[in-house]
Amino acid sequence: MTPTEKEKGIKETLRGFILSSIALADLADDDDLFESGIVNSLFAVQLMTFIEKTFAIEVGMADLDIENFKSLNATMAFVLKKNGRRGG
Amino acid sequence: MQQLLTDAQKASREEFRTFVALNVEPFAEQWDRDQRIPDSVLLKLAQRGYLGCSLPPEYGGQGWDTVTFGLLNEAVGRALPALTGVLTVQSMVSMALLKWGTAEQKRKWLPPLAKGEMIGAFALTEPGAGSAVESLVTEFAQDAEGHTVTLNGQKKWISCAQFAAVFLVFGKLAGRPVACVVPRETPGLHVEPISDLMGFRAAGLAQLTFNDVEVPSANIVGKPGFALSHVAPVGLHYGRISTACAALGLLRGCFEESIAHAAVRKIGDKSMGDIGMIRSLIARMGTDLEAGSFLCHNACRAEDEHLPEVFEKTLMAKYFTSRAAVRAASDAVQIKGAAGCQGSSPVSRYYRDAKIMEIIEGTTQIHEDILGKMFVDQAGRLGRNRRGEFSDD
Repeated sequence: MTPTEKEKGIKETLRGFILSSIALADLADDDDLFESGIVNSLFAVQLMTFIEKTFAIEVGMADLDIENFKSLNATMAFVLKKNGRRGG
Repeated sequence: MQQLLTDAQKASREEFRTFVALNVEPFAEQWDRDQRIPDSVLLKLAQRGYLGCSLPPEYGGQGWDTVTFGLLNEAVGRALPALTGVLTVQSMVSMALLKWGTAEQKRKWLPPLAKGEMIGAFALTEPGAGSAVESLVTEFAQDAEGHTVTLNGQKKWISCAQFAAVFLVFGKLAGRPVACVVPRETPGLHVEPISDLMGFRAAGLAQLTFNDVEVPSANIVGKPGFALSHVAPVGLHYGRISTACAALGLLRGCFEESIAHAAVRKIGDKSMGDIGMIRSLIARMGTDLEAGSFLCHNACRAEDEHLPEVFEKTLMAKYFTSRAAVRAASDAVQIKGAAGCQGSSPVSRYYRDAKIMEIIEGTTQIHEDILGKMFVDQAGRLGRNRRGEFSDD
């Protein structure tokens, strides 16, 4: 799988989860999830658990940065970075 | 339910029932009356590893699965729901630290929590901030060098605070939500017991007052800004699992007391169980018990499998069992009549304790608000997929 295909796969997986969890008609790659006020703390931990389960990574204290989760592109970059760290 | 448990889980359930029958049930009424759990029973819980059962062995815990943790809460909740308060808050503090603590925090705090050498309490609620946690006013101020934080404020209705050795305290630092570990002996921290509650009288609730309480900044858990979005939800989630299963235990207690009474109590020449109206009450109770068992098991299994839907499953389990427990306790008192109103009757205590379970770890109304929104959002998703059926477009 080329990096581009991998990125696309991660992004679409995330998009599917987010759209299945919150009432949004569509979600652009850079839409700010948290600034819009449409998500709550329950979604924050659901998203974290989904990422951990789906991509076999662990979100820890050092990862608590809104920049990691604010949009589809940001979350995809975070997953790629964590996967890269464990050589995946 | 029985068929869903592994052999190891069934064995654990028998162990818990035996432990509770010997060490809790005979004394439950007295502890409720005394409004106090003796140190000796906390020691027994610790010696069995029950106070650190969900923590991994590397920190001295038992590493049990969540289904087993749920069975423990159910067994204890059957005898004395107030004692589950210890299991609840110990897991809330421990699991929040396990998830968001630094390596140093985990090394320092988790082993004594796991071994039960230390009881933790989850200090979130304030006199003016219950369900609306974003309204917290407990203030944290950091020194210029960033070495220490100083707390000022009050916490109220904090379970186990009367005997806890360490508190996970939530407040705001420069306007951002923050969580911090505060040892009980820290100067400026005053613990005032709250007594004469309607239920959970032995759960050791207290009010905490922080007057310039200074702790190292290294005690901050997670990062400032994430205490209410990430740290508290992990703790509250475990609290809900514990409370859901404890309410299931209370419901089981009501059911068992009711059927035993209905089988032997005579009304004229009939046994109580022959009366249709009594059968109706018992039918509802027994069906709620079965449904609650499945909801709790599903939630615990989802936690063990680390599924994102675990949060909604846990909300549903806690919402269902706490409400069913209130109904069952009311019906159990009704079935036992005057005898059920006497303080020495377990159903009298269940009646008082059940209501508390509808309030702790999120009220019934908060659960309805979250779950209702979730279901509506899911319907919105269906609408996107099946637009013709759900909109005029």
